Amino acid sequence: MTKYILKRLGQGLLTVFLTVSTVFVLVRLAPGDPAVAYAGPLATTEQLAKVREQFGLDLPLIQQYWIFLQQLFTGNLGTSYSFQAPAIQVVLERLPYTLTLATASILLTAVVAIPLGVWMSRRPDTKKEFGVNVLTIAGQSMPDFWTGIMLLTFFAVLIPIFPASGFATWSALVLPTVTIAILQIALISRMVRREMTTNFAAPYLTVARSRGVRNSLLTWRYAMGNSAIPVFTALGTRFAAMLNGVVVVEVVFAWPGVGSLIVRALETRDYPLIVATVLVTAVLAVGVQLLIDLAYPLLDPRIRLGKAATA
Amino acid sequence: MSLSDTAVPPAGGPSGLPAEPPARKSSPSAVTKELIAKAGATRRRAGAKFKIRTGVICTLLVVVPIVLAAFLPLPDPSHQDLAQRLLPPLTEGHLFGTDQLGRDLLSRILHGGQVSLTIGVLAVVVSGTIGIIFGAAAGYFGGKLDSVVSRLIEAQMSLPLLMMLLLVVALFGPSIPVITFVIAIAQWPEVARLTRSMVLVEREKPYVSAARILGLHRVQILIQHVIPNVIKQATLVVLLLLAQAVLLESALAFLGAGPQRPFATWGRIISDGQDYLTTAWWLVTVPGLVIAIMVVGVNLLGDGLRDRPRRKKKGA
Repeated sequence: MTKYILKRLGQGLLTVFLTVSTVFVLVRLAPGDPAVAYAGPLATTEQLAKVREQFGLDLPLIQQYWIFLQQLFTGNLGTSYSFQAPAIQVVLERLPYTLTLATASILLTAVVAIPLGVWMSRRPDTKKEFGVNVLTIAGQSMPDFWTGIMLLTFFAVLIPIFPASGFATWSALVLPTVTIAILQIALISRMVRREMTTNFAAPYLTVARSRGVRNSLLTWRYAMGNSAIPVFTALGTRFAAMLNGVVVVEVVFAWPGVGSLIVRALETRDYPLIVATVLVTAVLAVGVQLLIDLAYPLLDPRIRLGKAATA
Repeated sequence: MSLSDTAVPPAGGPSGLPAEPPARKSSPSAVTKELIAKAGATRRRAGAKFKIRTGVICTLLVVVPIVLAAFLPLPDPSHQDLAQRLLPPLTEGHLFGTDQLGRDLLSRILHGGQVSLTIGVLAVVVSGTIGIIFGAAAGYFGGKLDSVVSRLIEAQMSLPLLMMLLLVVALFGPSIPVITFVIAIAQWPEVARLTRSMVLVEREKPYVSAARILGLHRVQILIQHVIPNVIKQATLVVLLLLAQAVLLESALAFLGAGPQRPFATWGRIISDGQDYLTTAWWLVTVPGLVIAIMVVGVNLLGDGLRDRPRRKKKGA
């Protein structure tokens, strides 16, 4: 068990390391001079040279990478150009907002998508199920920024029930959460339906049914028990992805989270901030992934971590 | 499956039931037409058919005008006419109305759609090719190659994807090749994973051993015999990825990381229209609907093709 966790932690660290290294290389490969980005287009040659020296941009690439690694391990990623504050601190201040949004969205998704998927699997190929099926296809086909703007128009502009942007009151959480959840519900409910249908067709369920086990027990205990792991994994992966992937929705609703921060950092070419954002989100995503794996034995007692698990 | 209690023999076939109710002498089977029509399998087939048809109609509804945009009697998409700013749809010959600079919205959507579609199709071709090659090789040869490819897939799936895409586009400029490449890179793991798992199954089948005994080279077996057996399902996934590619491109364009030349794409048109939400609803609503209709179409088509019973009755 401990060995397994250590191994997974090592893998996770490697992923994070590779990610930030990729970002380092990309930033250096890209056309455009970070010094110009920092000093502005009107800077003189002397000023540019000074900026390069200050940030070590005049050093050989290998040496720059070495310094970058040292910064990485001390957690000191430099000062954000546009915020004039330690980059990592700027990101961490935004993080709670993204976490709140992601948590609310995943909860809403789970509460709606799991019963919906079960419902669909209980009456396959009926007209109602077909209707819901087509609806879920529509749900996963609408661009989320567009859904967001539409919800915003209706429920913040035309009928002002909810605030249009920012996060001043808790009601501001509603529209972005719904926007994210529409897509996720469509995806997860279809997945639940698929898993449950497979389990309903399995021989063990026929045996249980012929023994006279109640229908509700068949559904929730037998079939769901065996669908729990894939469904939980899907929800967890979605959650991990949301920690860095709600960029679009955050921009639409001017949500003060990490997603809108990265867009701003990219627009202003704020390199320390870019690296810090990627680092923080990568660590989070890997951490959540690890937690999901560690939770498997709770869901399925047959699983013993480190033995059967093949990463 | 729902069929557990109403097993239905193929239509018209003899059921072979010994005890036949005398009242139904005319029919050779106790299974009536109504029962067949009600059976899950029939409904599933009808559902698949409906999905495929609707999917094709929705897709063509958007794709055909886009392809023919150059031949349609439309104003130039970048022609500005400040006297005709923000006209609502269906006025003065502007089917979808005009935008804040008096440009014809329909023309902008169609020309922008050409760019969006080109990017989507190219990206999917690239990611499909990479994914099938890597996935098939990993699944068939196994060993070190497999573990390298599998690790790559895993690593990429745990990366902050959209952020990396934005980063690449922001750094290298929003040109069509860069965006295409970025979307392709984002999508290949999906294809590779699926191809790999299918090849793993296929590899164990007798025909592969037969080919091996006949002395065929491993690569030849893979290319000539294994891949043709998995390519159909793999292309089905690729079709669904096209829908995703179009969505991804529009999201990038919405965030300002879309191509500007030759024409602004859908996401960009929507993000421009945001400023006129209260005065000109059509600037956001219409392009969004166009994206949604097309993506729904492609998704329905892919779903319908997947639901369709594998074996056709009348010999293909």
